[in-house]
Amino acid sequence: MKNFGFLFAANAFVWGGIFFYVFSLMKRNQSLQKDLAALKEAIAQEDKE
Amino acid sequence: MNEKNGADQSNGWFLLWLTGATMMAALVAVFFYVPTERTEGIVQRIMYIHIPSAWIAFFAFFIVFICSILYLWKNEREWDIYAHASAEIGVVFCSLVLITGPLWAKPIWGAWWVWDARLTSTLVLWLIYVAYLMLRAQTEPGSMRARFSAVIGIVGFLDIPLIHFSVLWWATFHPKPKIITSEGLGKGMDPSMLITLLISLAAFTLVYFLLMGQRVRLEKMRDEIDSLKKEKLYSN
Repeated sequence: MKNFGFLFAANAFVWGGIFFYVFSLMKRNQSLQKDLAALKEAIAQEDKE
Repeated sequence: MNEKNGADQSNGWFLLWLTGATMMAALVAVFFYVPTERTEGIVQRIMYIHIPSAWIAFFAFFIVFICSILYLWKNEREWDIYAHASAEIGVVFCSLVLITGPLWAKPIWGAWWVWDARLTSTLVLWLIYVAYLMLRAQTEPGSMRARFSAVIGIVGFLDIPLIHFSVLWWATFHPKPKIITSEGLGKGMDPSMLITLLISLAAFTLVYFLLMGQRVRLEKMRDEIDSLKKEKLYSN
């Protein structure tokens, strides 16, 4: 099991990196969806008035 | 419209499940199926994540190259969206290549990094596309930004043939190609290693398409917000 630490670190970086990127996409998606909903609501409100 | 959305959603779920299953198959193959390499030992298994990461980085930058040409030719925002999305994914995977490479090099070469042609040209590639993303982040959205980005996207890709041939043209620490060799496809390695590497390549390719779908959707949503904001501004 010599050099297992290097193998572990490489896998941790790759899978961790991919999951971190997916997580950042999800956060951006949530934030944009919130903005979009608020904007649509504001426009609908203005149309009513 | 609803039917189309429903079909898109079911395709998305299918891709997600297929990616998950292929990733699991790759992990099982890397840790339980493939034998340990005789000279390098267990650390050689880094190859099954290092090469697929490099493949995805190069593939992503190839998509940037194609979409950038199409943007300059057709002047359609759609191509700029695809190029931007692919560049971001390419930078993520190129970063992983530059991290896993030294982790493999240290126990084998005795050094984290050497300034040989392959490593240096890969670092240059990463810097070019980081500059591409920085340019986009620092400039106002519009056709000027898209045009400058497209030029960087095209010029940056020219580094990839240099990276590929660097190990053949110059004396480097980095090993020569093992999959595409002069003797034939996959002749440079054991069949079990080749099968494991191919499964891993398939898993990473599916991850790319999954990420690309999400990243493009994000950019389209941003466009929708911008156009609604403009609409609201003009109506006032």
